Amino acid sequence: MKVTIKILLLLFICSLSVSAQIQSLAKHAQMNIDCKSCHVCDTPTKADPCLILCPRYKLEVVRHSPDEGPDHIIIDKIKVEKDLYKPVQFSHRLHSEMSLMSGGCSSCHHFNPPGNIVECSECHEPNRARTDLSKPDLKGAYHRQCMDCHYSWDAKVECADCHELNSSETESVRLEAMPSKSHPKVKEPEKIVYETGSDEGDLVTFFHNEHISLFNLECTDCHSNESCAQCHSQKEKVERPILADAHENCSACHDTEDDCTSCHMEMERAPFNHFKSSGFSLKKYHSDVSCISCHTAGGGFTGLNKNCISCHNFEDEDFDHGVTGLTLDDIHIENECADCHTETVYSKVSCDTCHDEDITYPASLPGTKK
Amino acid sequence: MSQNRRDFLKTVAAIGTSAGALSALSPNKVKAKSPENLSEERMGVLVDATVCIGCRKCEWACRGAHDIENGNIQDYADEKVFETNRRPDYDNLTIVNRYESSDEKLSNVKLQCMHCDHPACVSACIVGAISKKKNGSVVWDTDMCIGCRYCMVACPFQIPAFEYHKALDPKIVKCDFCDERTMEGKLPACTAICPVEALTYGKREDLLIEAKRRFKNNPDRYYQHIFGEHEIGGTSWLYIADKDLAGTVFPKLDNRTAPGVSESIQHGLFAYFVPPVAVYALLGGIMWLTKDKKKTEGK
Repeated sequence: MKVTIKILLLLFICSLSVSAQIQSLAKHAQMNIDCKSCHVCDTPTKADPCLILCPRYKLEVVRHSPDEGPDHIIIDKIKVEKDLYKPVQFSHRLHSEMSLMSGGCSSCHHFNPPGNIVECSECHEPNRARTDLSKPDLKGAYHRQCMDCHYSWDAKVECADCHELNSSETESVRLEAMPSKSHPKVKEPEKIVYETGSDEGDLVTFFHNEHISLFNLECTDCHSNESCAQCHSQKEKVERPILADAHENCSACHDTEDDCTSCHMEMERAPFNHFKSSGFSLKKYHSDVSCISCHTAGGGFTGLNKNCISCHNFEDEDFDHGVTGLTLDDIHIENECADCHTETVYSKVSCDTCHDEDITYPASLPGTKK
Repeated sequence: MSQNRRDFLKTVAAIGTSAGALSALSPNKVKAKSPENLSEERMGVLVDATVCIGCRKCEWACRGAHDIENGNIQDYADEKVFETNRRPDYDNLTIVNRYESSDEKLSNVKLQCMHCDHPACVSACIVGAISKKKNGSVVWDTDMCIGCRYCMVACPFQIPAFEYHKALDPKIVKCDFCDERTMEGKLPACTAICPVEALTYGKREDLLIEAKRRFKNNPDRYYQHIFGEHEIGGTSWLYIADKDLAGTVFPKLDNRTAPGVSESIQHGLFAYFVPPVAVYALLGGIMWLTKDKKKTEGK
């Protein structure tokens, strides 16, 4: 009888503690719950809560840049007596760089609560004969992770592409090359002409190179959800899917609601020419300058004052005249700017402040020209 | 023709028994006997064709486990074999075929004995050499087999193969679900080696739950049908893929058990020995009636 009462009492306490846990997780440490029911270690901290892991999907909260992660990982968790292959050397950096364009870290690290990066082996058992069938075993998880992409773009991928044979006598050269290994530069298209079938104008000419160079864009600014097969396909060419919302990528900067004809035309558009559009040539000194370093006002690219001093502060004592292509000699370098440049248009030079009429610019130079 | 009361009764009796025999023949009335030891605990394999990469390591492992010369594992990477649509045979108890669908997506499907819950081969075997074990595997006793090859004809998946090339003592061969290995507590050779774990070994009922869980978590990845859950009364090997496998990889099959129809006819013919007795009674009756007539004619 006493035993029954004890059990009932125990059950009652248990149910109380569980309901309390649900009420307030914030103060759960003060409650009468065995820490080990959720935490693995003795003293969980906020930084390292060492939670017991469960199989979950799409719960990824840890984000790193590729540089913060390891360059390479040697995968040697699975060992059998007569191993046909050497441990796989996985170029983590290379893969994480590319993953930024196709789903990010979570495409592999699909479950990671706050804290340390969870290793595959913490959830996926090394033993294939097991009762929990909901997750693949470790070997299956590793291979699926790789083959989901690698097989989708090339069904001819062979074991030896990743696994070096144990029998091979050549010393491993992969590892040495790995830290510096990064994805070869993607050959970007100069322009893409979209046939939209729109009444406003069939063709939209997108100058890919201009958008990159003029706006200092990173690949990932636009490409964040591509599949690897987009580029790495066994097929000659993957048809680029027509964007469900074709304007999505453009409307961040362009007015796609009312201004159709800026992009939609009946003919292919010529590349952007700063001189044609604004009358100000970028050829001489400004060709390498990004748009926003002059067009600082956010959003619009309205006309700027063509006078140099509207952007440049030439009064600065450190100004190196050499950047203009003319290095001043020892005498002229002592001059004030206005001694020669009497007007604010700096292309105009007058020598008669100091010199006689027979000395003129550019017949005589106050230094050496490049 | 004059007919006395006694003749009439005889004829009615004869017709009655033959009708009874006919009703016993009708397949709807008699159900096929399910194997007595069809256990809830029987094992199976879930084949996920969306995961399979066609490496054919399973073929290598299978041959090794069945003492068939299996050569170098790396030679199995040769993809030329995918050019032909292969069938399991005496030399390859399992094979992987590659199918290209209209959207140019490749899918690899491993074929072997499905280890049916109601195996047609067990039903067809006239010497009772084949049996369905409690653990799900359909195995056979080589010493009992007389080589009639009825099992080959009966199998809806055309799995049992025959060693035609052997003049002396040819045998029936097929996948035995690695019966020896599983009895030792090991996994079937193919499921143990699969690098991507496209083959999941477990209790059949757990595998069904797992398959449905995958459907739910990745609805776009799968064609929502488990091939083998109900087909021909259920199979131990279950398949999920990105498309319907029935009609392409597998034949289109009814949910009724394969032996259901054949056994109902076969067993119906001899049910409680009534039909044979009835047939003989009918024949006897006819003879008797004819004899009577001759006597009348003779008079």
